[in-house]
Amino acid sequence: MNRPLRLAACFLLLGSTPLHAAASSALEQANQRFAAGEYADAATAYKQLLTSEGPRASVLYNLGNSYQRLGQYGPAILAYERARLLTPRDPDLLANLALARQAAAAFEEMRRNPRIDALLYHFSRHEWSWLVVGSALLLGGLAGLCGVLGLPRRGWRNGALTAAALASLALMTGATALYLRGDEAALGIVLSATAGVRLSPFDKAEVLGSPGAGRSVRLGATSGAFHYVEVPGTSLRGWMADTEVTAIFP
Amino acid sequence: MVSQFPRSNFFRKVADWRRAGCPIHRSPRALPGSNQARAPITSLTHQMLACLWFIAAGIFTSSCLAPHAGAATVDATLDRDSVPAGNGALLSLTITGNRVGQIQLPEVENLIIQGRDQSRQIQMNAGQTIVSLTCTYAVGSNTPGTYQIPPIAVSIDGQQLTTKPLTLKVLDAAAAQAPTPSGAPPAAGQAPDTSGKRFGFLTVELLIKDRNYLYVGEIAPVGIRAWLPEDSRAQLRSGIQPEGKAFTLHNVSERPQQGTEIKDGKRYTVITWYGGISATKAGKYPASLSLDATVAVRDTSAPKPRRRNGGPFDDPLFDSMMDRFNTPMIQEDVTLKSDDEEIEVRSLPTAGRPDGFTGAVGDFKFESADIPASWKTGEPQQISASLSGSGNFALLGAPTIVPPDAWKIYPGKSDLTPRDAAAFSASKRFQFSAVARKGGKQDVTLSFSFFDPAAAAYKTLTTSPKPVTVSGADLVDVQTNTPTVAPEPAKPKDPLVGQHSALTPVASLAPLVARPEFTRLLALGATLCVLGQAVAWLRRRRTDPARLAQAKMEMATREALQAAANCADRRDVAGFFEAARRAIQLRLGALWNQPAPAITLAEISARIPAESPVARFFHEADLSAYGRHAADDRLPHWRSLLAEALASLTPSAG
Repeated sequence: MNRPLRLAACFLLLGSTPLHAAASSALEQANQRFAAGEYADAATAYKQLLTSEGPRASVLYNLGNSYQRLGQYGPAILAYERARLLTPRDPDLLANLALARQAAAAFEEMRRNPRIDALLYHFSRHEWSWLVVGSALLLGGLAGLCGVLGLPRRGWRNGALTAAALASLALMTGATALYLRGDEAALGIVLSATAGVRLSPFDKAEVLGSPGAGRSVRLGATSGAFHYVEVPGTSLRGWMADTEVTAIFP
Repeated sequence: MVSQFPRSNFFRKVADWRRAGCPIHRSPRALPGSNQARAPITSLTHQMLACLWFIAAGIFTSSCLAPHAGAATVDATLDRDSVPAGNGALLSLTITGNRVGQIQLPEVENLIIQGRDQSRQIQMNAGQTIVSLTCTYAVGSNTPGTYQIPPIAVSIDGQQLTTKPLTLKVLDAAAAQAPTPSGAPPAAGQAPDTSGKRFGFLTVELLIKDRNYLYVGEIAPVGIRAWLPEDSRAQLRSGIQPEGKAFTLHNVSERPQQGTEIKDGKRYTVITWYGGISATKAGKYPASLSLDATVAVRDTSAPKPRRRNGGPFDDPLFDSMMDRFNTPMIQEDVTLKSDDEEIEVRSLPTAGRPDGFTGAVGDFKFESADIPASWKTGEPQQISASLSGSGNFALLGAPTIVPPDAWKIYPGKSDLTPRDAAAFSASKRFQFSAVARKGGKQDVTLSFSFFDPAAAAYKTLTTSPKPVTVSGADLVDVQTNTPTVAPEPAKPKDPLVGQHSALTPVASLAPLVARPEFTRLLALGATLCVLGQAVAWLRRRRTDPARLAQAKMEMATREALQAAANCADRRDVAGFFEAARRAIQLRLGALWNQPAPAITLAEISARIPAESPVARFFHEADLSAYGRHAADDRLPHWRSLLAEALASLTPSAG
C-alpha cells in the first residue's frame, strides 16, 4: 500500500472511531431503557439512532422488540422486515418476527413450494444481487484473462471453463431469485389494526375492509396521501392512507 | 260466456287450445302451444261433453254414496294476483258435494274466462265419503286494469252456493315482466321463471355436519353448484369468485361433477364444485359467489312454427318434442350469482385459549416426532415432527418443546403433503432447530394446540416423553439458582428474544438490485466479456498460420517482383525471367494450395488456357531458360506480359 492510501485509511479510522463510540453509547442507553421497561422511550431512542446514523440491523431489531412490547405489532413487523433486509438469517430476528406475526394474526400465506421459498429467502435481495454482479464480473474477468493470456496450459483452460460454468450457474440462479422476489420492492406493512382499505383515495370514502396490523400489502400508485394497495391472497384492494401503511423500502 | 276481443297471444293460445280438443285427453302443458287445426265447433262441444261426463259421473257416484255424503262447499282461488296483458292466471274452483249442478261463470267486460281442466277426488274417512270436483280456468285480459271476478254460483245438492269475489290485476304487457318465457299460464308443477335466473344461478352449501356456522380461521368445506337450465349450453369464462369481502375461497376443485336435478319443478343441469371458505372476522356475512359464463338457452317465448294438419307428427305426443326442436337458442354472457344467504362466522373463544395456539382450526394429530437423544448445551440440533389431519394447515405452527424454559427454539421449515384434492386433509412435516439451555437428563415432549370446531373447544396434544441427555453447563441467561430470600412465583417464559447489544454496521436498506450501481456493474462485466473476446480474437488472428503463410507469400512475391524489376533494369533477361517466374509460382501456389516449386509449365497448361498471359509468360520464361534466348530488346514486352499475368492472378482467377 502506498503512502497516500495509508494516510487516507488512518484518517477514516480516526474519524469513524468517535462516531462508532457515540452510536454504541446511544444503543446501550436505549437498551437500558428497554430493560427498565420504558419501551416507548427506548423506541424513540432507537428511532433517533436510526435517523442520525442510518439503518443498522441491530437497531432495527431492537426497535421491533420495543414496538412488540408496546403491542404495536404493525410498526414492530415493519422494523423486523427492514432488519431482515440486512440480516436475513438472524435466528433471533426470525423468531421475534414470527412471534409478532402470530400475535397480530398477520400470517403470510406460502406462495410457492416451501423448499423453494426456503432457498429464495435464505439470502436477502441484496445478497442475491451481489451474487449476480459477482458472477457477471467473474465471467468478464475470465473472458479478459483468456483473451489476454490465452491460457496456453490445458489445466488452466479447464479451470477457467469450470469457473465460467459455475459463474454462469450462479448468475442464472441469482437472476431467477431476483425475478421471483421482484414484487418485494413494492411491499408495504399495515401499521394499525384499524387501518382500512377505502374505495377511493379520500378520507370519507367507503371502507372496504381492514387487512389488520402487520399485514403485508402490495403498494401501487399514489394519489395524494393515499396508496393503492392489494392484500395478497384476498380480493381486498383499494386505497390506504400513507399514515396507515408504510413501504418496507423507505 | 266468452267475450269477443281482438286476438292476442293469450287468446290465440286459447283458440289453439280450443281447436286442440278436449283438455282431459291432453297434457296441460301442450295446450297453449298447440297449433293443431280442428273444427272450431268441436272444442266447446268437447268441453261441455267433458263437463257433462264428469257431472254424470258425479251424479252416479253421489247417488251411490249419497247416504254418506258430507257438507257441500265451494271455493275459488287464483294462483296469482296480477298478470301481464295477454297472459292468464289459473282460477281453481273446488267444489265439495255430491250432486254438482251447473256452474255459472260470471261475465266481466274485457275479461276472458276459459275452461282448462277438471279433476275429481273421492275420499273415504271413517265411513264418510267426501267427493270434490276441481275445475280450472284460464283467466286473463288484453286490456290492463283491475278486474273484480264476481262470486261464482254453483248448484250443489240442490243448494245454490257461491264463491267469494276475486280480484285480478292485469298489467301493461310492455311494463310487466313476463312471468314465463312462453307467456302462457304456467303449467301445474312448474315454477314461473324469473328473468334473473333464466340463464341459471349458483347455490352455496356448507358441508359441515351438525353446524350451520363456522369459526374465524376455519376453512369450511362448501359445495358450490351451478344450476343451468336443461338443454342449455354453457361455457365458463372465469373461476368462481367471492363477491363479498368477508370470505375467502380456497382450493376449489378443478374437475367439477355434473348431473341433472329437478328444482322447483324445473329440470336443471347441475355442475358441482367442492372447495372451502374461510373468514377472518366474526359476524354474519352473505356468502355471495359469482361465475362468469356464456349460456345459451332455448327461447321459449319465440313463436312456434305451425305444423301442417294431418301430417305425420299431427299428434299431441309430438307437440312438446317438436316444439323443443324448433325452439331457437339465445345466447348471452351472464354472471351467475348465488343468493345472498348469510353464513354466521363465530369468533374463537378466548376462554381456555392455550399459550401456544397459532390459529390452527381443525382436527389434527401427531404422526411422528423425532427428537435426538443426546444434546450439548448451546449447540443446535434439528427436531422434526409430522402432524396430520384436516383443517387450516396454513395456520398450523410448529409444535413447542416441553419443558419450554430449558430450550430455545428457532423457526424452521415445514412441508405440506396434501391428502385430497382440496387439501383439507393433509400432513405437515416440521423441521426446526433447538438449543438446549439446561444440562442433565430430562424427559422432553412436543406439544401443540388447535381449536376443534366440532367440539367447540381448544385441544392440546402432546407426544410421549422422550428421555434426552444434555451434556455441558447450563447457559448463563437461564440460571435460576440465585440465592433469593423470598422465592418469587415462577414467571411464564418470555418468548421474545432479547435485545442485541452489538452495533452492526450501517447499511442501505435498498438492495443492490434497486441501485444504479447494479446496472453499471453488470455493464462492466459485459464489457469485460466483450473486451476479452475481442482481445482473444485479435490474438488468434495474429497467430493464425494461414494468415501468416499468406503474408509470407505476399512478401516473397514482392521480393521476387522487385528482383525481376532490378534484373530488367540491368538488361539481365535470364535473371528477369527467373525472378518473375518465381513470383508467378508463389502467387499460383497460394491460389492452388500447392508448393511454389511444384508449379510448372505442364501444370499451368493443364489448368489454364494456353493463350492466357500466365501460360504465355511461363512459356517465354521456359524458352529463355532452356533456349538461351537472350534478346533483351523484348524486355519491355515481357515486362508488360508479366504485369498482365500478375493482374490476371486475382483470387478469382483460380
